Amino acid sequence: MSLLEAKNIKKVYKTRFGGASVEALKNVSFTVEKGEYVAIMGESGSGKTTLLNILAALDKATEGTVILDGMDLSKVKDKDVAAFRRDNLGFVFQEFNLLDTFSLEDNIYLPLVLAGKKHAEMKQKLDNIAGTLGISDLLKKYPYEVSGGQKQRAAVARALISDPRIILADEPTGALDSKSSDELLSLFKKVNQMGQTILMVTHSTKAASNASRVLFIKDGVIFHQIYKGENTDQQMYQKISDTLNLLAQGGDR
Amino acid sequence: MKTGFYPKMAVSGMRKNGRLYLPYIAACILMVAVFYIMHLLGYSEMLEGFEGAGTARDMLRLGTIVMAVFGTIFLFYTQATLIKGRLKEFGLYSVLGMSRKNLGKIIFYETIITWFVSVTGGTAIGIGLSKLAELAFRKMIGIGSSYKFIISGESILVTVIVYSLIFFLIFLNAARQVRFSRTINLINSDKAGEKPPKANWFIGILGLVILLSGYFLALKIEQPLSALAIFFIAVILTIIGTYLVLIAGSVVLCRLLQKNKKYYYKTNHFVSVSSMAYRMKRNGAGLASICILLTMILVMMSSTSALYINREESLRNHYPKQINCTASNYGFSESYGETAQKLMADINSKAEESGAEIRGSFYYASCFISGYFENGRMRLDIDPMTEMTTIDFDNVVQVYFLDLDDYNRLTGNNEVLSSGEVLAGVEGNIRFDDNITVGDETFKVKKKISCNQGDFRYVQSIMIVSTLFIVVDDLEEVAPLYTGYTDHFGNTMLAWEWHYSFDTDLDEDGQIKLNSQLREYIRDELYQEDFWGVRCESRAEQRNDFVRTFGGLFFLGILLSVIFLVSCVLIIYYKQISEGFEDQSRFGIMQKVGMTKENIRNSINSQMLTVFLIPIVVACIHLAVVLPIIHKLLKLFGHNNMPLLLACAGICVLICGIFYAAIYKITSNAYYKIVS
Repeated sequence: MSLLEAKNIKKVYKTRFGGASVEALKNVSFTVEKGEYVAIMGESGSGKTTLLNILAALDKATEGTVILDGMDLSKVKDKDVAAFRRDNLGFVFQEFNLLDTFSLEDNIYLPLVLAGKKHAEMKQKLDNIAGTLGISDLLKKYPYEVSGGQKQRAAVARALISDPRIILADEPTGALDSKSSDELLSLFKKVNQMGQTILMVTHSTKAASNASRVLFIKDGVIFHQIYKGENTDQQMYQKISDTLNLLAQGGDR
Repeated sequence: MKTGFYPKMAVSGMRKNGRLYLPYIAACILMVAVFYIMHLLGYSEMLEGFEGAGTARDMLRLGTIVMAVFGTIFLFYTQATLIKGRLKEFGLYSVLGMSRKNLGKIIFYETIITWFVSVTGGTAIGIGLSKLAELAFRKMIGIGSSYKFIISGESILVTVIVYSLIFFLIFLNAARQVRFSRTINLINSDKAGEKPPKANWFIGILGLVILLSGYFLALKIEQPLSALAIFFIAVILTIIGTYLVLIAGSVVLCRLLQKNKKYYYKTNHFVSVSSMAYRMKRNGAGLASICILLTMILVMMSSTSALYINREESLRNHYPKQINCTASNYGFSESYGETAQKLMADINSKAEESGAEIRGSFYYASCFISGYFENGRMRLDIDPMTEMTTIDFDNVVQVYFLDLDDYNRLTGNNEVLSSGEVLAGVEGNIRFDDNITVGDETFKVKKKISCNQGDFRYVQSIMIVSTLFIVVDDLEEVAPLYTGYTDHFGNTMLAWEWHYSFDTDLDEDGQIKLNSQLREYIRDELYQEDFWGVRCESRAEQRNDFVRTFGGLFFLGILLSVIFLVSCVLIIYYKQISEGFEDQSRFGIMQKVGMTKENIRNSINSQMLTVFLIPIVVACIHLAVVLPIIHKLLKLFGHNNMPLLLACAGICVLICGIFYAAIYKITSNAYYKIVS
């Protein structure tokens, strides 16, 4: 069974006064296997952020179901949604979304504290991942004291610390310079190789070329997908570029 | 650019920020209205033609000054908050091509609009409410209502001038803020100051030390006369201490809590402790201001209400009987006694002549001299009045000598003394043993006596300094021993006083009439040569003065409290709104990371409750520390009723607490709405 299964997702936004409605997602179906590293690509307005919000249970689909590890997201009660996210999902955002009131360490602990874990246990978990992410020396610092790349690594640590079933990343390299982007992408790869499932939304070809599979979304439907297979990053990059060109020229499948 | 562009920008800017501007303008209007009313009552002829009008009006004039000063400070503070909230908007205008001068124009028109609305609205409401205020005031000070309605041009003019000046200053300050900032800073202004504060141990501890030394000074005060100067210092120290403690000390406390891993990493504490640590530095000043305002309200209301409620008892302490006559003179002469007896007989016959029957009465003669208590004895060679700067007022003692016969009559006791023996009692902070030395004479104390027994308690007048009572077997023997001491001017320091108080069967008008007859009789026909001074006072007549004074104070206390309370509300409101906007994104992030709605509610509750409780708890501590001093100061007004003062303080705390809780509820709802 797949880890994540999205079936016939449809999302319609109504304008405020019930006038014209906009179909952000028409009919999206796909699956993500355990241990996969999937990128979703698309232009602005293609519906990829809407899709991610639905996968993250931040938003509800108008039609269709999302099943994560056998659990139907639409069946999760409203009051349990936050706890569900906390226990099952890890998030990495474009704008890092670190809280400036907390040190990096406390930012990383946040999901565990919310889950009511003991400090010793949290510390153990952090020690396990801090080395991998290269943030051991930064833990006592505050977000305003560190660079964007360091912030994003802390954000990845926050996503990883609750051992989520899947990491959802929304344009994780969007606010980073190219060097930090490269570092983050190799980090994602490393984490993925350790068995962590990752779903990343991006419009950076470079970022997507790291993934083991790339889904293309356009006008609310999955338009195409590419498997990396035995391709190198470079070859993958080329394939993605070609597909994007095709998309931009408005070609059909 | 088209004319009317800037006014339009100003109006639309204010309308868009209505949530911030409406309360501000409302507060301005209220302040102007109260200022007008105080000025009107204090300076116009509205309150005229009754006895004690001067006293009452003086108090309102004082209130006018307080209002002007407080208004300036408060409106400055509020305006600064408002402008801070709009810097981003100004930054955007600036990017779109507006110069600083253009922005200044917008601010100018905004200030003009606020000024116009506040001054016209405030004056209009002031005029409308002035009659009501006057009636309330007249009721409180116990005079009949008048049918005069006055609109005072002078008061309007003064109000307009004072508030125009205040608004002018506000405008300058706002223009300065916009002028001296760079566009990029304007745009990012709401992101500025994002650094969480470091715990500043030095300032935190310094604040605590200052606060405690203020408390210590305040608690050390024993006598009201010396209290006034020290009290002032204590107040200043306490205010500074409060600010430092709330600004720095609270951060230190939060950091300490954060160090405690077991406490800190709990779901409910984690978010609230860290954001409190983060925000205390900026909001400490606001909290301290709220705290000081609350303290002022509590102190003002509990003292003035206690004075007002207790006015009859204070009056009776001052004037034990319906008519009170006192004759006094320097030095001591045996003939004084005879003259006094004659005076009493004359007064009695005069009273009977006018048809009054004398009922309860008491009289006594006493000699008193002021001395300086040092090393267990009373020195008489220091004149406290001329050496004011070098001596400790706590050790100044007024020594009263009374005859045993008078003492026994006043108290109903039947004490017997042999020569050289005395009875002694003390009111104040000096101690004595078996022997007591006054000047060069040492007396053997046979017994210590209470100063509050029977009519004896009326012998001490107002306890400004410590009082020592020495009851001797024969006053005529002891008094001459002290006639040799003179003060700086060469006057004899020993004074002799004879006191006669009595009740009659007359009604109040009759008492006042009899009293003035006695006064005239004494003035015109008798005793001017025999005595340095003879005075007759009627309780009924003095009652008016007491009611005017205390009623005036109470009225002023209420008006100022209302203003202070409104200011508190506004500070809290702005705090909540601005924090709400700040926290919006923060709670957004936390929700994404897995914070449940319930978590949010709990953490907001715990955080806001703490933040809200701090000022009122600290204010109550301040009040508790200051109450003994208030009690001592109130003694100057003849108020000696601690239980009543405590009750008044308790009720004031309760009322303030309820009101405060209501504000908390309302503003935290506003906060919830913004955050979720």
